[in-house]
Amino acid sequence: MDKLLRDKKAIAFFVLPAGILFTLVLFLPILYALYISLCDWNALTSPVFIGFQNFVDLFTKDKIFKIALKNSIFFMVFSLITQQIAGLLLAVVLSNLKHGRNTYKNIFYLPCVLSSAALGLLFSFLLKPNMGLNQLLAVFGIEGKNWLMDVQGFIPLTMWVIGIVALWIYVGTTMMLYMAGIAGIDNTLFEAAHIDGANKRQTFFHVTLPLLKPMMKTTISLTCIGSLKFFDLVYNMTQGGPNNKTHTLATWLYFQGFSYFKYGYASAISVVLLIMSLAVTLIVNRTINTRDFAA
Amino acid sequence: MTGKNISKNNKRNKVRLSTPIIYIILTLLAAVYVLPLLWIVLVSFKTNAEVFSNPFGLPEVWQLGNYIFAWNTGKLGVALKNSFVVCTVTLIVSLLFGAMAAFGIARMKWKLSGAALIYFMIGMMVPVHCILIPLFVVFSKIGLTNSLGGLMLPYITFALPITIFILVGFFRSMPREIFEAACIDGCSIYRIFFNIALPLVKTGLFVTGLMSFVATWNELLVAMVFISDPMKKTLPVTLTYFVGPYATNYVQMFAAIVIAVLPTIIVYSMFSNQIVSGLTMGAIKG
Repeated sequence: MDKLLRDKKAIAFFVLPAGILFTLVLFLPILYALYISLCDWNALTSPVFIGFQNFVDLFTKDKIFKIALKNSIFFMVFSLITQQIAGLLLAVVLSNLKHGRNTYKNIFYLPCVLSSAALGLLFSFLLKPNMGLNQLLAVFGIEGKNWLMDVQGFIPLTMWVIGIVALWIYVGTTMMLYMAGIAGIDNTLFEAAHIDGANKRQTFFHVTLPLLKPMMKTTISLTCIGSLKFFDLVYNMTQGGPNNKTHTLATWLYFQGFSYFKYGYASAISVVLLIMSLAVTLIVNRTINTRDFAA
Repeated sequence: MTGKNISKNNKRNKVRLSTPIIYIILTLLAAVYVLPLLWIVLVSFKTNAEVFSNPFGLPEVWQLGNYIFAWNTGKLGVALKNSFVVCTVTLIVSLLFGAMAAFGIARMKWKLSGAALIYFMIGMMVPVHCILIPLFVVFSKIGLTNSLGGLMLPYITFALPITIFILVGFFRSMPREIFEAACIDGCSIYRIFFNIALPLVKTGLFVTGLMSFVATWNELLVAMVFISDPMKKTLPVTLTYFVGPYATNYVQMFAAIVIAVLPTIIVYSMFSNQIVSGLTMGAIKG
C-alpha cells in the first residue's frame, strides 16, 4: 500500500497536467505582468524598462485613474454594507418562513447564475431616460431622472444606481451563505437560550450572530474581492462614461490596455488591483477572528 | 408567544414569522426580481414604436421577426454554439485535471504535497485582470487569439484552484480501508483513482463542475479581449455589439438578451434546488 502511494511516476501523472497548465497560464503570466508594469510599452514599440514611473504617473497625473480608484472603493464599501445587511436580513426571515421558503430563495438567487453582461444590458435599457422605469414612474405622474447619465457630485447618482443593480444581482449569494450558516446552527442552542429567558433580539445578537462569524468572513471576502473586479456590469451599463466619471479599475485597465494599447500602463493598474485584492483578503482574515467559534 | 411555538416548530429559529406582512414584503421583493425579466420578454415581441406607445401592455402583434433578426444578424446561433463548446471542454478538462491533482495531493505520499496545494491556492486570490495583458501578448504571438482553444486555456486554469481545493477535502475524508482493500485485490493506483476514488466524489465533482460552468458561461472580459472574429465570439461578447449610447434598434436587442439568458433560466428552473445548494456548498468550502 505504502509503496503504491509513494510511486513517483504516479504522483507525476496525477499532479503534473494541472501543475504545468497552472504554471504556464497563471503563475508565469503574473510574474510577467509584474515586469511589464515596470516598462514603457505600447503595442508598436518594444518594452523599455522605466522602473516605477507608471505607478508614479498613475497616482500623480492620471485623473481618471483616481476616479476609477474612488469608484472601485465606493463599490466595495457600498456592496459590503448593503449586502451584509440585506443578505443577513433575508436569510433570517427566509429561514423562519414556513411556506414557500424555497420559492423565494430560488427567485432571489436567480440573477447570480445569469450572465451579468446580459443583466447589465437589460438594466441599461430599463434605466434609459425614456424607457422602462421612467415609463413606469410616469404612470404615477412622477418624472424620473436620467439614471445612467447623471454624473454630478463626488459619488454621482449613476454610481449609486449601478451599486443598487449590483446589490440586486449579488445579494442572493450572501443570503444563501447565511441561510446555510443558520441551518448549521445546533437547535439545542436556541432552546437553551430560550430556557435562560432570552428574547428574540437577544437570541439573535448573542447566539445567531456570533455563530455566523465564520460565514461572515466568507461573505465579506467574496463581496469585497468580487466588487473590486467589477467589469461586466459597468462596461455594459455605462462603458465608464459619461465623461469617464463611472470608470472602475477594471474598465480603465481594459481601455488603457486594449483601446489605447498601453500595455505597461495597464499592467500597472492590474498590479494595483492585485495588491488591493491581496490586502483585502489579508485584512478580512486578520480582523475577523473565528477561532473562538470554530465548530 | 414563545414556549408553545418553539416546541411545535422544529425548524431552527426562535421566532415564528407567519404574519401576512412578511409575505407581502417578500412577494413585492420577488416582483422586483421577476418583473424586469418579464418586461424584457414582453417588449422583445413589440415594434420599436410600440415600446414607447404601449410600454406595459401585451404586444398588438407578436413580432417573431425580432428573434429571427437577432439570431441571424447578431450571430447568436453561432455564439450559443461557441459558448457551449468552450464550456463543455473547460468543464471536462478542469474536472479531470483538477480531480487528478487533488487526488495526488490528498492521497499520495510525497514531501511537497502541502506546498503544491498552497501553490494552486495562489490562483484563488489573483484577479483574472492581472494575467490579461501577458496572456494576450503571448497568445497573439503563437496564434491562440481568435481561437476557442485560446479561451479554454485560461478558463480551465482559473477553474483549477477551486476545483482542487474542494476535491482535496473530499478525497481526504475518504476512509483508508477502501484503498487498502483495493490494493490487496491487486488494483493499480490508476485503477484505484479512476474506478474507485472518482465515482465516490460525485458530489464534489457536481459542485465544482457547476461553479466552473456558471463562471465560464458568463465570462466576458477574457473573451472580449481574445476574440475579435465574429464567428468565434461567445454569448456574453456577442451581446456587447448592442452596447452604446447611440444604439436605437431596441426590440432586436431585447430579443438578443432574452435568447442569451433563456437557456440558463430554463436549466435553473428545472434544477434550482440542486443548483442553489451545490453553489452554496462550493462557496462555503472555497
